[in-house]
Amino acid sequence: MVEERACLPELRERIRRIERPTLAVHGVLPFGVDEIDRVLPGGGLTQGALHEILGVGGDEEDGALAAAFAAGILGRLAGTGEGTVLWCLSRPDLYGPGLAAHGLDPARLVLVRAPRDSEILWAMEEGLRATGIAAVVGEVGALTAVASRRLQLAAERSGITAFLLRRWRDGGQAMRERNLPNAAVTRWRIAALPSQPPPIPSPASGGGNGWGTGVGRPRWRVELLRCRGGEPACWEVEEADATGHVSLAAALADRPAAPVSAEGFRRAG
Amino acid sequence: MPLADALSFHPALATAAAEPTEDAAALRRLAEWCRRYSPWTAPDGTDGVRVEITGSAHLWGGETALAADLAARLDRRHLASRIAIADTVGAAWAMARFAEGKSLVILPSGDCRAALSPLPVEALRLDPATAQGLRRVGLKRVGDLAAMPRDALTRRFGEMVARRLDQAQGDLPEPLSPLGEAPTRRVRLSFAEPIADPADLMRATERLVEDLVPRLAREGIGARRLDLAFHRIDGRVEQIRLGTARPSRDPRHLAALFKERLDTVDPGLGIEDVILAVFAVEPLSAEQIGFPGHPTSCETSGIAPLLDRLGNRLGLAALSRLEPRASHIPERASVLVPVGSAHSRTPVAQAPDKPPRPIRLFEPQEAVEAFWLLPDDPPFRFTWRRRRHRVTRADGPERIADEWWRPEGCGTVDAIRDYYRVEDEEGRRFWLFRSGFHGGNQPPRWFVHGVFS
Repeated sequence: MVEERACLPELRERIRRIERPTLAVHGVLPFGVDEIDRVLPGGGLTQGALHEILGVGGDEEDGALAAAFAAGILGRLAGTGEGTVLWCLSRPDLYGPGLAAHGLDPARLVLVRAPRDSEILWAMEEGLRATGIAAVVGEVGALTAVASRRLQLAAERSGITAFLLRRWRDGGQAMRERNLPNAAVTRWRIAALPSQPPPIPSPASGGGNGWGTGVGRPRWRVELLRCRGGEPACWEVEEADATGHVSLAAALADRPAAPVSAEGFRRAG
Repeated sequence: MPLADALSFHPALATAAAEPTEDAAALRRLAEWCRRYSPWTAPDGTDGVRVEITGSAHLWGGETALAADLAARLDRRHLASRIAIADTVGAAWAMARFAEGKSLVILPSGDCRAALSPLPVEALRLDPATAQGLRRVGLKRVGDLAAMPRDALTRRFGEMVARRLDQAQGDLPEPLSPLGEAPTRRVRLSFAEPIADPADLMRATERLVEDLVPRLAREGIGARRLDLAFHRIDGRVEQIRLGTARPSRDPRHLAALFKERLDTVDPGLGIEDVILAVFAVEPLSAEQIGFPGHPTSCETSGIAPLLDRLGNRLGLAALSRLEPRASHIPERASVLVPVGSAHSRTPVAQAPDKPPRPIRLFEPQEAVEAFWLLPDDPPFRFTWRRRRHRVTRADGPERIADEWWRPEGCGTVDAIRDYYRVEDEEGRRFWLFRSGFHGGNQPPRWFVHGVFS
């Protein structure tokens, strides 16, 4: 049984080579957390591919957690700090110190502002065909399957990793777009969890009024909703630190991450 | 004379409504078209076009050939014209309008004085009242004026008469402003047969860029702003204007930039001239251009073509970088700067123990409806974007006062802000601030300034 498990990735690789013989392998970027890397094919996030990151609830409009999660990965993607990150968005509300806190040096960013989704997608595709680019990020509302396919192919060809942050105008657009299939290799959903209260309440946290303590270390629920060649899964992590690494939340670090069945996620949407 | 009177004299009179705006626009188009002869053209009054042909006449085989070509082309478009070439603007103006019986006058260099003297005084570009006054005292010809003592002329008719005379004769300089900006470098391609096929336009563009690039390379410069003008046979001019993020003289790159926009050019019945003009140049050292087929090692030159492609579709203003600034006002601590601007690599000292900063900062801040208990408390509930949030945890306040040494920051409403980092029941974390004090002139107001991850 164990041996069968071990040869599965090799088999997958052989099938891929038969399916797309010209495709170069661009390697993977491990998260550095065993529980997460074990689930991902190849032991990490595929480089030279398109990854989609979603938010939850009100964050589907603000895209704060998706941006933070992406920033953590981008910071590690080019560990030496070389290469420009092209970030295409319609509303330039990224904040440099916040990005730096998650491991992405804001000096490496080039922001591209475009009012329409179609222009953002075009700019991403141009970025994926260019040289000197480490990664491309796009904050997109409406996305067609064809557009995502184009991005995925462009990423495969150039080896540049692309991230789609889904950011919807309102709840209605979120409802329509949330479950549409696309060609991204993985689909992540990041939700905020109530933070763990710090062991010692800070004096300035309004403690005397009896309605709460200070904000602790932020925690996220990271869900891998879809993964080509892998299983959906879910983890609770502490947010990415200045080196861009996430870590499993302390309470869960001792037990293995429970893989959740794919059906369950499809229903939950 | 009123129109009714005129019609009573001559019932078959053909009439047309005067359209000064349309006429001015047509004259401007004509001036643009004249750029095929020289980069320096401008409409002159309501009925003329000035073309500065110093240094460009030899391209047409001399002034005579140039004037003949111009006359023939205007004639083909059924435009009656009078053309004069002279040393000064004033002399050319006078000869074009007042030369007896000739529609094409070319004054040899240095002949201004002699040629002007038999002309009526109106030829000096004087206003009608002055010209009338000169005639009344018997000064009918330019030659009569030249003999007059200057101080008497000036006393009687103002300084304009003497100045116009001197300008026409070349004794005084006459500053001129061309239509639009005069380019610094220019290459031109003319066709015996008009072209209209997109593939031909593309080849013409490539040819022009190839002509231009060696000139730029010789001078060690790169183009920042370019203009490609297609002169149609019906006299219209179609233009593509381009800007580049960095100075460039890579022929493939420049041609690719133009090609992307070629489909916006309507060739009409055909294009007879294509002119590529460079308006802004910057020094560009030789080593920045890579060998064909080899990726360049320099990271900055690697993304310049991409930035140009993006910038020419979305506007260069759409591309920016985040730059840290030494300021403790949140929105001033990280600013968007244009991508073309030089990097200011001054390290910005950050306080190491600064409280966390949000990942997205809203500019301007968004007002919220908030409820709180004690003056220094964060709100226990607030409504933002029609969503209600109940606060479960909060940190703060972090007081950020305005930078009083800046003139624009003094005395604004948010002179002092108290920032709170709050978490709602779902776990979403916001950066709220309160502006104003309890007991102040206005009740305190609450804003969301950013969201944390």
